[in-house]
Amino acid sequence: MTAIPSITVVGAGLAGSEAALAAAKLGVHVHLYEMRPKVMTPAHRSGNFAELVCSNSLGGQGDLQAKGLLQSEMRAVGSAVLESADASRLPAGGALAVERESFSQRITDAVRRHPLITVYGEEVTELPAGPCVIATGPLTAEALSGELARLTGDEQLAFYDAAAPVIAFESINMDIVFRAGRYEQSADYLNCPMNKDEYDAFYTALEAARSHTPHDWEKLEFFEGCMPIEEMPGAARTRRASAR
Amino acid sequence: MKPRGLTDPRTGRWPYAAAQLRQEDQEGRMWSLVGFQTGLKWGDQLAVVQLIPGLENAEIVRYGVMHRNTYLNAPKVLDADLQLKLRPGTFVAGVLAGTEGYLESAATGWLAGTNAARAALELGSIVPPQESMLGGLTRYLASANPKNYQPMNVNWALVPELPVPEGRKKLGKREKRPVLYKIGLNAFVAWARDAGLDVTEPTPAEPPRAAEETAEPVLR
Repeated sequence: MTAIPSITVVGAGLAGSEAALAAAKLGVHVHLYEMRPKVMTPAHRSGNFAELVCSNSLGGQGDLQAKGLLQSEMRAVGSAVLESADASRLPAGGALAVERESFSQRITDAVRRHPLITVYGEEVTELPAGPCVIATGPLTAEALSGELARLTGDEQLAFYDAAAPVIAFESINMDIVFRAGRYEQSADYLNCPMNKDEYDAFYTALEAARSHTPHDWEKLEFFEGCMPIEEMPGAARTRRASAR
Repeated sequence: MKPRGLTDPRTGRWPYAAAQLRQEDQEGRMWSLVGFQTGLKWGDQLAVVQLIPGLENAEIVRYGVMHRNTYLNAPKVLDADLQLKLRPGTFVAGVLAGTEGYLESAATGWLAGTNAARAALELGSIVPPQESMLGGLTRYLASANPKNYQPMNVNWALVPELPVPEGRKKLGKREKRPVLYKIGLNAFVAWARDAGLDVTEPTPAEPPRAAEETAEPVLR
Protein backbone atom coordinates (compact mmCIF):
# COMPACT_ATOMS: atom_id res chain seq x y z
CA MET A 1 0.00 0.00 0.00
CA THR A 2 1.27 3.46 -0.86
CA ALA A 3 1.28 6.19 1.75
CA ILE A 4 -1.86 7.91 0.55
CA PRO A 5 -3.99 9.34 3.35
CA SER A 6 -6.75 7.09 4.63
CA ILE A 7 -9.98 7.27 6.58
CA THR A 8 -12.17 4.71 8.33
CA VAL A 9 -15.90 4.39 7.78
CA VAL A 10 -17.98 2.31 10.19
CA GLY A 11 -21.25 0.99 8.78
CA ALA A 12 -22.20 0.33 5.16
CA GLY A 13 -25.81 1.42 5.16
CA LEU A 14 -26.96 4.34 3.06
CA ALA A 15 -24.84 6.84 5.00
CA GLY A 16 -21.68 4.75 5.29
CA SER A 17 -21.72 3.57 1.67
CA GLU A 18 -22.18 7.10 0.43
CA ALA A 19 -19.46 8.35 2.82
CA ALA A 20 -16.99 5.72 1.60
CA LEU A 21 -17.61 6.48 -2.07
CA ALA A 22 -17.49 10.27 -1.53
CA ALA A 23 -14.18 10.00 0.32
CA ALA A 24 -12.66 7.63 -2.24
CA LYS A 25 -13.64 10.07 -4.98
CA LEU A 26 -11.35 12.62 -3.31
CA GLY A 27 -8.45 10.17 -3.59
CA VAL A 28 -8.14 8.90 -0.04
CA HIS A 29 -7.98 5.24 0.89
CA VAL A 30 -11.12 4.07 2.74
CA HIS A 31 -11.25 1.27 5.29
CA LEU A 32 -14.93 0.37 5.42
CA TYR A 33 -16.24 -1.84 8.23
CA GLU A 34 -19.58 -3.63 8.08
CA MET A 35 -20.52 -6.25 10.68
CA ARG A 36 -23.27 -7.82 8.57
CA PRO A 37 -23.76 -10.63 7.64
CA LYS A 38 -21.42 -11.93 10.38
CA VAL A 39 -23.39 -10.05 13.04
CA MET A 40 -26.95 -9.43 11.83
CA THR A 41 -29.48 -6.93 13.11
CA PRO A 42 -33.19 -7.62 13.70
CA ALA A 43 -34.04 -5.35 10.75
CA HIS A 44 -31.68 -6.43 7.97
CA ARG A 45 -32.08 -9.49 5.78
CA SER A 46 -28.86 -9.56 3.82
CA GLY A 47 -25.18 -8.71 3.90
CA ASN A 48 -25.66 -6.22 1.08
CA PHE A 49 -24.80 -2.59 1.57
CA ALA A 50 -27.41 0.19 1.66
CA GLU A 51 -30.21 -2.29 2.32
CA LEU A 52 -33.59 -0.57 2.56
CA VAL A 53 -35.15 -1.94 5.72
CA CYS A 54 -38.55 -0.36 5.34
CA SER A 55 -40.26 1.49 2.53
CA ASN A 56 -38.74 1.40 -0.95
CA SER A 57 -39.34 5.12 -1.53
CA LEU A 58 -36.71 7.83 -1.33
CA GLY A 59 -39.39 10.49 -1.10
CA GLY A 60 -41.37 12.83 -3.31
CA GLN A 61 -39.70 14.38 -6.32
CA GLY A 62 -39.72 17.71 -8.05
CA ASP A 63 -39.52 21.34 -7.08
CA LEU A 64 -42.48 21.33 -4.68
CA GLN A 65 -40.84 18.80 -2.39
CA ALA A 66 -38.08 19.32 0.16
CA LYS A 67 -36.90 15.78 -0.63
CA GLY A 68 -36.92 16.71 -4.31
CA LEU A 69 -34.44 19.50 -3.68
CA LEU A 70 -32.17 17.23 -1.65
CA GLN A 71 -32.31 14.60 -4.42
CA SER A 72 -31.24 17.20 -6.99
CA GLU A 73 -28.40 18.43 -4.76
CA MET A 74 -27.15 14.87 -4.34
CA ARG A 75 -27.40 14.17 -8.08
CA ALA A 76 -25.32 17.27 -8.78
CA VAL A 77 -22.41 15.93 -6.72
CA GLY A 78 -22.61 12.42 -8.15
CA SER A 79 -24.16 10.65 -5.16
CA ALA A 80 -23.95 6.87 -5.51
CA VAL A 81 -27.30 6.45 -3.76
CA LEU A 82 -29.08 8.74 -6.22
CA GLU A 83 -27.32 7.18 -9.19
CA SER A 84 -28.38 3.74 -8.04
CA ALA A 85 -31.92 4.93 -7.26
CA ASP A 86 -32.31 6.45 -10.72
CA ALA A 87 -31.06 3.21 -12.31
CA SER A 88 -33.38 1.00 -10.18
CA ARG A 89 -36.48 3.16 -10.20
CA LEU A 90 -40.00 1.83 -10.24
CA PRO A 91 -43.10 3.75 -11.29
CA ALA A 92 -44.55 5.34 -8.13
CA GLY A 93 -46.44 8.47 -9.10
CA GLY A 94 -44.49 11.44 -7.83
CA ALA A 95 -42.15 9.47 -5.58
CA LEU A 96 -38.65 8.17 -6.22
CA ALA A 97 -39.29 4.49 -5.52
CA VAL A 98 -36.73 1.80 -6.24
CA GLU A 99 -36.46 -1.93 -6.74
CA ARG A 100 -34.76 -2.86 -3.47
CA GLU A 101 -32.47 -5.68 -4.51
CA SER A 102 -30.99 -4.02 -7.56
CA PHE A 103 -30.72 -0.70 -5.72
CA SER A 104 -28.66 -2.18 -2.94
CA GLN A 105 -26.75 -4.50 -5.30
CA ARG A 106 -25.56 -1.56 -7.42
CA ILE A 107 -24.24 0.26 -4.37
CA THR A 108 -22.63 -2.91 -3.01
CA ASP A 109 -20.88 -3.45 -6.36
CA ALA A 110 -19.73 0.17 -6.59
CA VAL A 111 -18.23 -0.05 -3.10
CA ARG A 112 -16.64 -3.50 -3.52
CA ARG A 113 -15.16 -2.73 -6.91
CA HIS A 114 -13.68 0.62 -5.94
CA PRO A 115 -9.88 0.32 -5.96
CA LEU A 116 -9.52 2.76 -3.04
CA ILE A 117 -12.05 1.05 -0.74
CA THR A 118 -11.15 -1.97 1.39
CA VAL A 119 -14.10 -3.71 3.03
CA TYR A 120 -13.75 -5.51 6.36
CA GLY A 121 -16.59 -7.80 7.48
CA GLU A 122 -16.07 -7.10 11.14
CA GLU A 123 -17.80 -5.36 13.99
CA VAL A 124 -16.05 -2.23 15.27
CA THR A 125 -16.09 -1.96 19.03
CA GLU A 126 -13.98 1.17 19.54
CA LEU A 127 -13.93 4.56 17.90
CA PRO A 128 -11.23 4.42 15.20
CA ALA A 129 -8.07 6.50 15.35
CA GLY A 130 -7.64 9.19 12.69
CA PRO A 131 -10.28 10.74 10.44
CA CYS A 132 -13.38 8.58 10.41
CA VAL A 133 -17.12 8.46 9.77
CA ILE A 134 -19.44 6.70 12.20
CA ALA A 135 -22.61 5.70 10.37
CA THR A 136 -23.87 2.73 12.30
CA GLY A 137 -27.54 3.57 12.17
CA PRO A 138 -30.58 2.99 14.38
CA LEU A 139 -29.40 -0.44 15.49
CA THR A 140 -25.83 0.45 16.41
CA ALA A 141 -24.26 -2.50 18.21
CA GLU A 142 -23.83 -2.37 21.95
CA ALA A 143 -20.04 -2.02 22.19
CA LEU A 144 -19.82 1.01 19.92
CA SER A 145 -22.92 2.60 21.48
CA GLY A 146 -21.17 2.24 24.80
CA GLU A 147 -18.06 3.96 23.45
CA LEU A 148 -20.14 6.84 22.08
CA ALA A 149 -22.04 7.20 25.34
CA ARG A 150 -18.79 7.25 27.29
CA LEU A 151 -17.43 10.00 25.02
CA THR A 152 -20.51 12.22 24.88
CA GLY A 153 -22.14 11.37 28.19
CA ASP A 154 -24.97 8.83 28.56
CA GLU A 155 -27.71 11.39 28.30
CA GLN A 156 -26.59 12.49 24.80
CA LEU A 157 -27.29 9.09 23.23
CA ALA A 158 -30.90 7.95 22.84
CA PHE A 159 -32.09 4.39 22.23
CA TYR A 160 -35.57 5.22 21.07
CA ASP A 161 -37.29 8.19 19.54
CA ALA A 162 -40.56 9.58 20.84
CA ALA A 163 -41.24 12.42 18.47
CA ALA A 164 -44.23 14.71 18.63
CA PRO A 165 -45.48 16.34 15.42
CA VAL A 166 -43.54 19.48 14.47
CA ILE A 167 -45.62 22.23 12.91
CA ALA A 168 -44.65 25.03 10.54
CA PHE A 169 -45.11 28.36 12.32
CA GLU A 170 -46.58 29.95 9.21
CA SER A 171 -49.46 27.47 9.27
CA ILE A 172 -50.49 28.32 12.85
CA ASN A 173 -53.47 30.62 13.34
CA MET A 174 -52.10 33.30 15.65
CA ASP A 175 -55.55 34.91 15.91
CA ILE A 176 -56.39 32.00 18.24
CA VAL A 177 -53.04 30.81 19.54
CA PHE A 178 -51.31 32.96 22.18
CA ARG A 179 -47.75 33.20 23.46
CA ALA A 180 -47.38 32.67 27.19
CA GLY A 181 -45.60 30.77 29.92
CA ARG A 182 -47.37 29.35 32.96
CA TYR A 183 -48.06 32.04 35.55
CA GLU A 184 -45.19 34.52 35.46
CA GLN A 185 -42.80 32.36 33.43
CA SER A 186 -41.35 33.86 30.26
CA ALA A 187 -43.65 33.62 27.25
CA ASP A 188 -41.73 30.84 25.50
CA TYR A 189 -44.67 28.66 24.52
CA LEU A 190 -47.43 28.91 21.96
CA ASN A 191 -50.73 27.94 23.54
CA CYS A 192 -53.81 26.61 21.79
CA PRO A 193 -56.82 27.29 24.06
CA MET A 194 -59.63 24.72 24.06
CA ASN A 195 -63.13 24.92 25.46
CA LYS A 196 -64.87 21.82 26.79
CA ASP A 197 -66.50 20.90 23.47
CA GLU A 198 -63.25 21.31 21.55
CA TYR A 199 -61.38 19.27 24.12
CA ASP A 200 -63.93 16.46 24.07
CA ALA A 201 -63.99 16.38 20.27
CA PHE A 202 -60.19 16.21 20.23
CA TYR A 203 -60.06 13.29 22.66
CA THR A 204 -62.84 11.41 20.92
CA ALA A 205 -60.86 11.68 17.67
CA LEU A 206 -57.65 10.68 19.43
CA GLU A 207 -59.27 7.55 20.82
CA ALA A 208 -60.54 6.59 17.37
CA ALA A 209 -57.28 7.28 15.54
CA ARG A 210 -55.25 4.34 14.27
CA SER A 211 -51.63 3.62 15.13
CA HIS A 212 -48.82 2.75 12.79
CA THR A 213 -48.03 -0.98 13.08
CA PRO A 214 -44.38 -1.22 14.04
CA HIS A 215 -41.91 -3.79 12.73
CA ASP A 216 -40.89 -6.20 15.47
CA TRP A 217 -37.51 -4.57 15.92
CA GLU A 218 -39.08 -1.15 16.29
CA LYS A 219 -41.33 -2.12 19.18
CA LEU A 220 -40.84 -0.31 22.40
CA GLU A 221 -41.82 -0.94 25.92
CA PHE A 222 -43.43 2.24 27.01
CA PHE A 223 -42.61 3.74 30.31
CA GLU A 224 -43.69 6.89 32.09
CA GLY A 225 -42.37 9.87 30.18
CA CYS A 226 -42.52 8.26 26.75
CA MET A 227 -46.12 7.08 26.63
CA PRO A 228 -47.69 7.84 23.25
CA ILE A 229 -50.51 10.34 23.55
CA GLU A 230 -52.97 7.92 21.91
CA GLU A 231 -52.39 5.50 24.82
CA MET A 232 -53.31 8.18 27.31
CA PRO A 233 -56.85 9.46 26.80
CA GLY A 234 -58.32 7.55 29.74
CA ALA A 235 -55.41 8.28 32.05
CA ALA A 236 -55.21 11.92 31.02
CA ARG A 237 -58.91 12.47 31.65
CA THR A 238 -58.69 11.00 35.10
CA ARG A 239 -55.62 13.01 35.98
CA ARG A 240 -57.12 16.15 34.62
CA ALA A 241 -60.37 15.72 36.49
CA SER A 242 -58.53 15.26 39.77
CA ALA A 243 -56.41 18.34 39.11
CA ARG A 244 -59.36 20.63 38.72
CA MET B 1 -53.27 19.74 28.38
CA LYS B 2 -53.54 21.41 31.74
CA PRO B 3 -54.48 25.07 31.48
CA ARG B 4 -53.13 26.20 34.86
CA GLY B 5 -51.41 29.57 34.79
CA LEU B 6 -52.03 30.12 31.09
CA THR B 7 -53.97 33.34 30.83
CA ASP B 8 -55.50 33.81 27.38
CA PRO B 9 -55.02 37.53 26.62
CA ARG B 10 -58.25 37.53 24.61
CA THR B 11 -60.40 36.40 27.52
CA GLY B 12 -58.22 37.27 30.53
CA ARG B 13 -58.87 33.75 31.83
CA TRP B 14 -57.39 30.27 31.79
CA PRO B 15 -58.94 28.16 29.04
CA TYR B 16 -60.64 24.83 29.83
CA ALA B 17 -57.60 23.02 28.39
CA ALA B 18 -54.58 23.97 26.31
CA ALA B 19 -52.20 22.33 23.88
CA GLN B 20 -48.72 23.84 24.03
CA LEU B 21 -46.05 24.17 21.35
CA ARG B 22 -42.31 24.50 21.98
CA GLN B 23 -39.82 26.14 19.65
CA GLU B 24 -37.49 23.68 17.90
CA ASP B 25 -35.27 25.81 15.63
CA GLN B 26 -33.33 29.03 16.07
CA GLU B 27 -35.64 31.09 13.87
CA GLY B 28 -38.89 29.90 15.42
CA ARG B 29 -40.27 28.41 12.22
CA MET B 30 -40.79 24.91 13.66
CA TRP B 31 -42.80 24.19 16.80
CA SER B 32 -43.43 20.79 18.38
CA LEU B 33 -46.55 19.82 20.30
CA VAL B 34 -45.48 19.30 23.91
CA GLY B 35 -46.28 15.83 25.24
CA PHE B 36 -47.71 14.65 21.91
CA GLN B 37 -45.17 11.93 21.16
CA THR B 38 -47.16 9.58 18.97
CA GLY B 39 -47.11 6.56 16.71
CA LEU B 40 -50.40 7.41 14.99
CA LYS B 41 -50.69 6.87 11.25
CA TRP B 42 -49.87 10.06 9.43
CA GLY B 43 -53.32 10.73 8.02
CA ASP B 44 -54.97 10.22 11.40
CA GLN B 45 -52.25 12.23 13.10
CA LEU B 46 -52.87 15.24 10.87
CA ALA B 47 -56.65 14.97 11.35
CA VAL B 48 -56.32 14.87 15.14
CA VAL B 49 -53.83 17.77 15.25
CA GLN B 50 -56.10 19.88 13.06
CA LEU B 51 -58.88 19.54 15.64
CA ILE B 52 -56.82 21.69 18.01
CA PRO B 53 -58.01 25.31 17.90
CA GLY B 54 -55.48 27.44 16.03
CA LEU B 55 -54.03 24.41 14.28
CA GLU B 56 -56.96 23.90 11.88
CA ASN B 57 -54.63 24.50 8.92
CA ALA B 58 -51.50 23.07 10.55
CA GLU B 59 -48.78 21.89 8.23
CA ILE B 60 -46.80 19.10 9.89
CA VAL B 61 -43.17 19.32 8.77
CA ARG B 62 -42.12 16.30 10.81
CA TYR B 63 -44.64 13.67 11.89
CA GLY B 64 -44.56 12.09 15.31
CA VAL B 65 -42.98 8.64 15.42
CA MET B 66 -42.00 6.23 18.16
CA HIS B 67 -39.55 3.44 17.60
CA ARG B 68 -36.34 1.79 18.54
CA ASN B 69 -33.52 4.00 17.36
CA THR B 70 -29.98 5.00 18.26
CA TYR B 71 -29.11 8.63 17.82
CA LEU B 72 -27.03 11.41 19.30
CA ASN B 73 -28.34 14.66 20.72
CA ALA B 74 -26.95 16.38 17.63
CA PRO B 75 -27.19 20.01 18.81
CA LYS B 76 -25.14 19.13 21.89
CA VAL B 77 -22.45 17.00 20.29
CA LEU B 78 -22.15 17.88 16.58
CA ASP B 79 -21.01 20.85 14.55
CA ALA B 80 -22.65 21.68 11.22
CA ASP B 81 -19.81 19.91 9.37
CA LEU B 82 -21.00 16.72 11.20
CA GLN B 83 -17.84 16.54 13.31
CA LEU B 84 -18.00 15.50 16.96
CA LYS B 85 -17.15 18.55 19.06
CA LEU B 86 -15.37 16.34 21.58
CA ARG B 87 -13.37 14.31 19.09
CA PRO B 88 -12.15 16.32 16.10
CA GLY B 89 -11.66 14.16 13.02
CA THR B 90 -14.61 11.93 13.91
CA PHE B 91 -17.66 12.63 11.76
CA VAL B 92 -21.14 11.17 12.28
CA ALA B 93 -23.74 10.54 9.59
CA GLY B 94 -27.17 9.08 9.00
CA VAL B 95 -29.69 8.18 11.67
CA LEU B 96 -27.01 8.17 14.40
CA ALA B 97 -26.42 11.87 13.64
CA GLY B 98 -30.06 12.67 14.46
CA THR B 99 -31.53 12.61 10.97
CA GLU B 100 -34.54 10.69 9.72
CA GLY B 101 -35.04 9.29 6.23
CA TYR B 102 -33.09 7.35 3.63
CA LEU B 103 -32.17 10.41 1.64
CA GLU B 104 -31.12 12.36 4.72
CA SER B 105 -28.87 9.43 5.66
CA ALA B 106 -27.24 9.30 2.25
CA ALA B 107 -26.77 13.07 2.09
CA THR B 108 -25.21 13.40 5.54
CA GLY B 109 -23.06 10.36 4.67
CA TRP B 110 -21.85 12.14 1.58
CA LEU B 111 -20.94 15.27 3.58
CA ALA B 112 -19.30 13.33 6.42
CA GLY B 113 -17.27 11.25 3.94
CA THR B 114 -16.21 14.37 2.06
CA ASN B 115 -15.17 16.11 5.27
CA ALA B 116 -13.36 13.08 6.69
CA ALA B 117 -11.42 12.80 3.41
CA ARG B 118 -10.61 16.51 3.58
CA ALA B 119 -9.39 16.05 7.13
CA ALA B 120 -7.11 13.23 5.95
CA LEU B 121 -5.83 15.55 3.20
CA GLU B 122 -5.31 18.29 5.78
CA LEU B 123 -7.96 20.52 4.26
CA GLY B 124 -10.59 22.25 6.37
CA SER B 125 -14.12 20.89 6.50
CA ILE B 126 -16.93 22.42 4.48
CA VAL B 127 -20.64 23.03 5.12
CA PRO B 128 -23.19 23.53 2.32
CA PRO B 129 -24.90 26.94 2.16
CA GLN B 130 -27.94 27.50 4.31
CA GLU B 131 -30.18 28.02 1.25
CA SER B 132 -29.54 24.40 0.23
CA MET B 133 -31.56 21.58 1.80
CA LEU B 134 -28.44 19.76 2.98
CA GLY B 135 -27.04 22.99 4.44
CA GLY B 136 -30.36 23.68 6.16
CA LEU B 137 -30.45 20.16 7.62
CA THR B 138 -26.88 20.13 8.96
CA ARG B 139 -27.32 23.61 10.46
CA TYR B 140 -30.47 22.38 12.17
CA LEU B 141 -28.59 19.39 13.58
CA ALA B 142 -26.00 21.72 15.07
CA SER B 143 -28.36 24.43 16.32
CA ALA B 144 -31.77 22.93 17.17
CA ASN B 145 -33.30 22.98 20.63
CA PRO B 146 -31.24 20.33 22.49
CA LYS B 147 -34.01 19.73 25.04
CA ASN B 148 -35.54 16.37 24.17
CA TYR B 149 -33.97 16.50 20.69
CA GLN B 150 -35.77 14.29 18.16
CA PRO B 151 -34.48 13.23 14.73
CA MET B 152 -35.33 15.56 11.83
CA ASN B 153 -36.22 15.00 8.19
CA VAL B 154 -35.86 17.60 5.46
CA ASN B 155 -38.62 20.18 5.06
CA TRP B 156 -39.01 23.69 3.70
CA ALA B 157 -38.72 25.37 7.10
CA LEU B 158 -35.01 24.43 7.09
CA VAL B 159 -34.14 26.94 4.36
CA PRO B 160 -34.50 30.74 4.61
CA GLU B 161 -37.92 32.12 3.84
CA LEU B 162 -38.70 34.26 0.80
CA PRO B 163 -39.60 37.88 1.49
CA VAL B 164 -43.33 38.47 1.05
CA PRO B 165 -43.89 41.05 -1.71
CA GLU B 166 -45.41 44.36 -0.63
CA GLY B 167 -49.19 44.29 -0.56
CA ARG B 168 -49.33 40.50 -0.12
CA LYS B 169 -50.13 38.73 3.12
CA LYS B 170 -48.29 35.52 2.31
CA LEU B 171 -47.05 33.42 -0.57
CA GLY B 172 -48.69 30.14 -1.52
CA LYS B 173 -46.72 26.89 -1.42
CA ARG B 174 -46.90 26.43 -5.17
CA GLU B 175 -45.61 29.93 -5.68
CA LYS B 176 -42.70 29.84 -3.32
CA ARG B 177 -41.41 26.28 -3.31
CA PRO B 178 -40.19 26.24 -6.92
CA VAL B 179 -38.36 29.51 -6.18
CA LEU B 180 -36.80 28.10 -3.01
CA TYR B 181 -35.86 25.01 -5.00
CA LYS B 182 -34.01 27.07 -7.62
CA ILE B 183 -32.26 29.23 -5.03
CA GLY B 184 -31.24 26.18 -3.02
CA LEU B 185 -29.97 24.14 -5.94
CA ASN B 186 -28.04 27.06 -7.46
CA ALA B 187 -26.43 27.87 -4.12
CA PHE B 188 -25.50 24.22 -3.57
CA VAL B 189 -23.98 23.79 -7.02
CA ALA B 190 -21.98 27.03 -6.76
CA TRP B 191 -20.73 25.99 -3.32
CA ALA B 192 -19.70 22.50 -4.48
CA ARG B 193 -17.86 23.97 -7.46
CA ASP B 194 -16.05 26.49 -5.22
CA ALA B 195 -15.01 23.63 -2.97
CA GLY B 196 -13.39 21.92 -5.96
CA LEU B 197 -15.84 19.00 -6.04
CA ASP B 198 -16.98 17.27 -9.24
CA VAL B 199 -20.31 18.77 -10.21
CA THR B 200 -22.80 17.62 -12.81
CA GLU B 201 -24.88 20.55 -13.99
CA PRO B 202 -28.50 19.80 -12.99
CA THR B 203 -30.89 19.39 -15.88
CA PRO B 204 -33.35 22.29 -15.92
CA ALA B 205 -36.31 19.97 -16.54
CA GLU B 206 -36.99 18.19 -13.27
CA PRO B 207 -39.03 15.00 -12.93
CA PRO B 208 -42.80 15.37 -13.03
CA ARG B 209 -44.26 17.30 -10.15
CA ALA B 210 -45.47 15.19 -7.30
CA ALA B 211 -48.57 15.71 -5.26
CA GLU B 212 -48.02 18.40 -2.70
CA GLU B 213 -47.70 16.12 0.30
CA THR B 214 -46.20 12.68 0.59
CA ALA B 215 -48.83 10.40 2.04
CA GLU B 216 -46.70 7.94 3.97
CA PRO B 217 -43.47 7.84 5.93
CA VAL B 218 -40.51 7.21 3.67
CA LEU B 219 -38.46 5.54 6.35
CA ARG B 220 -40.06 3.20 8.83
